[in-house]
Amino acid sequence: MELILFNGFNGLIIGAFYVLMALGLSLILNLSGVINFAHGGFLAIGGYLAYTISPYVGFWAALVIAPALTACLGIAIERTMIRRLYGRDPLYSLLLTFGLAFIFEDMTRAIWGAQGLPFSPPSFLNQPISLDYFFVTYYRLFMMAVVGIIVLGLFLFLRYTRLGVRIRAGTLDLETVSALGVNVRALRTMNFGIGIFLAGLAGVLAGGNLSLEPTMGANVLMPSFVAIIVGGVGSLPGTLFGGLLIGVASGLTTVWFPSASEAVIYIIMAVVLLVRPRGLMGEEGIMS
Amino acid sequence: MSLLRIDNVTKAFGSLVAVRGVSLAVEPGEMRAVIGPNGAGKTTFFNLISGLFPPTAGAIFFDEQNVTNLAPHKRVALGMARTFQITEIFPELSVAENVRVGVEVAAGYRLRPWLRRAENIAVAERVAEILALTNLTGKADRIVGELSHGDQRAAEISMALTLKPRILLLDEPTAGMGDQETYDVTSLIRRLHREQGYTIVLIEHDMRVVFNLADRIMVLDQGSVLAEGTPQEIGANEAVQAAYLGKAA
Amino acid sequence: MKRASPPLAWLAFVWFMLLAAPLWLPYIGGYTALGSRVLVLGLAAMSLNFLLGFTGVLSFGHAAYFGLGAYGAGLTLKLLAPSTPLAILLGVALGTAAGAILGALIARRRGVYFAMVTIAFGQVFYFIAFRWNTLTGGDDGLRGFSRQPIDLGFFRVDILNDLNAFYYFVLFCFAVAVAIMGFLLRSPLGRTLIAIRENERRARFLGIPVDQHIWLSFVISCAFVSMAGSLYALLNNFADPKSLHYTQSGDFVIMAVMGGMRSFWGPLLGAAVFVVLQDYLSSVTTNWQSLIGLMFIVVVLFFPRGFLGFVQRRIQS
Repeated sequence: MELILFNGFNGLIIGAFYVLMALGLSLILNLSGVINFAHGGFLAIGGYLAYTISPYVGFWAALVIAPALTACLGIAIERTMIRRLYGRDPLYSLLLTFGLAFIFEDMTRAIWGAQGLPFSPPSFLNQPISLDYFFVTYYRLFMMAVVGIIVLGLFLFLRYTRLGVRIRAGTLDLETVSALGVNVRALRTMNFGIGIFLAGLAGVLAGGNLSLEPTMGANVLMPSFVAIIVGGVGSLPGTLFGGLLIGVASGLTTVWFPSASEAVIYIIMAVVLLVRPRGLMGEEGIMS
Repeated sequence: MSLLRIDNVTKAFGSLVAVRGVSLAVEPGEMRAVIGPNGAGKTTFFNLISGLFPPTAGAIFFDEQNVTNLAPHKRVALGMARTFQITEIFPELSVAENVRVGVEVAAGYRLRPWLRRAENIAVAERVAEILALTNLTGKADRIVGELSHGDQRAAEISMALTLKPRILLLDEPTAGMGDQETYDVTSLIRRLHREQGYTIVLIEHDMRVVFNLADRIMVLDQGSVLAEGTPQEIGANEAVQAAYLGKAA
Repeated sequence: MKRASPPLAWLAFVWFMLLAAPLWLPYIGGYTALGSRVLVLGLAAMSLNFLLGFTGVLSFGHAAYFGLGAYGAGLTLKLLAPSTPLAILLGVALGTAAGAILGALIARRRGVYFAMVTIAFGQVFYFIAFRWNTLTGGDDGLRGFSRQPIDLGFFRVDILNDLNAFYYFVLFCFAVAVAIMGFLLRSPLGRTLIAIRENERRARFLGIPVDQHIWLSFVISCAFVSMAGSLYALLNNFADPKSLHYTQSGDFVIMAVMGGMRSFWGPLLGAAVFVVLQDYLSSVTTNWQSLIGLMFIVVVLFFPRGFLGFVQRRIQS
């Protein structure tokens, strides 16, 4: 029983990460049709930036500043490079972000080294909440709380703010939104920035949970894709659900079949594609 | 027995009703026109006929066969050919190559990894035959994406002809064309109708074209049929005038 | 369907260079095994391009079938029989079967969604190769096999020890594969695929069952990519999970784009440039990965039509 709780909880944490990453990926994919292969790289950069600035500004400030800086980098890249590819075949933006991913991984390795770097949140957070449930540290609860707040914030943002509503509308019908006088280019840039902010934030949180490595983002990237596919391309609630589902499934599988814990997310994906190709909460025809 | 019979079709996209209870019967050899102001549902109507999506209600019969839910490529196989408002062609291929694809598919060769010499010759002859019909012989080797609008439309019609269609559905064939091009395309359509005996249904905005070509005209407004009759009858119909002819192109 | 169709002389030149490679490679600092490698990866890129450049379908997970071909060949040699032809045959069978099944699952999707799913499926195989280490050797890769000399009855072709002989064997396989692909692209079937690339809607409205034809193209391209994978295993006497990873898929795509997607031989040129560049860069700097990444970006932003596409444009104007 303890084992199930332990792994289930771990699974929830992992799922939370997948959700954070997948939501950012999804936002960018839905509005701009770009598969951001460099998303994992942005995660790593977020984590490393936090590591670098936290001696000066402390953990809490770094938690906000590092993702913001990462988002700035993302926006710079969007404006100089990605923007040029919007009208074109999705092949090109895919290749571009692919190349960026290479550069990010290599540069983070060059700047911060290939060794894992320890990034510690304030030590009080590292206490477990009780000795029985030693794996439930305050930090982990904190991480989940952060993800929960972010997700809630994102949904409120998309529903009730002007920018958010425009993003949602743009996802459904960009032409009409443009015809209504909205600056679509700026919209895409802002949307991209938000997505990257989420990636950077995931990096800071991940860094505090484990250590920082140049490849830390790549490990989360593929499952984030799966989360989007399982939940349904084009549906943010679907992405949320998909991420949690595969995270928890992965965690629980560890109890009985430890070596299959990664496989299970792909199995879920295959089953979903067979039974309901549009994804669990996806809309028909959205990407065909 | 009508060649094409559309029975009371309705198409709703959520709460937006684009086509509302429209019926149409087309006899072999006729030339029918569907007109109406922008947003009247004409292209949606065509999309229903050609199978881009199924109707919310109603049925469509082609040659007395129920095709209401049949996939587009299967309707093509039954003899329904169509052109689109924005010309749909293979832009980087030559005119002859564009037509050739259609000829080969129509001949049942689409999965063939090779053709016998005799078959190759037959294909080439058929391509030449169609290009002669649409006056594109001289432009056979030109890249179709580089041709004028009118020629592109003629190329698209050529492709539709490769299917040996029982019916031709032409969606705004003279859209965006100047006087000369409109004249050329209109002559082509008339030739296809009078000399080749094709049954044609066309959507048009240009009143001169419609009144020149059509046997009967159906007027749509806001998804419903406003009027139906000969060009004379429609021309005299006050409701039509009010809804549409006042804002003629 | 040929645009500025390469004249026969050009084709003859290409084949002459390929046939004479072991002779001229050393003069430019190369070596025969490098030529074999370029041929193998070039075949992979050309096979991918059958789908990407000629049918207009973006698969970003083709390394899966490449890798399956490699592991299939390696496992055959290791566990079944010391026969090179059998190894290739089974490698191809494995890759093609996987392609047929997965292709059927996704043939109705398009664009980014299709690409995403191909990537994800590709990773499944990577992950299987990684984990099932009793069979595949895991991260260390599959070892303990080597290409076997081919016994043709009256003489033996020692492709194991004679690198030149192996090069010509690879060239032979390459020639067969490329001939079939070229032949298919000039056939009615090939023309339907090109039609789909040009305008899917129009292809559908000419009576082409587009999903079916895309599936066919997918399977054909997987067959030849897995053949390349089998040859790759034979080249290295080794198969490793990296050949299944999406970075490998990305490499194939950039080779095709760099050389020219619309051109039949473009991907081979792209492969040559990529291989040489990667070899050179990794020997002069530790940050070669960044430079490769930069290359991706430069090609995409400035040379999307690839080198041969660029040349074709110049010729036409």
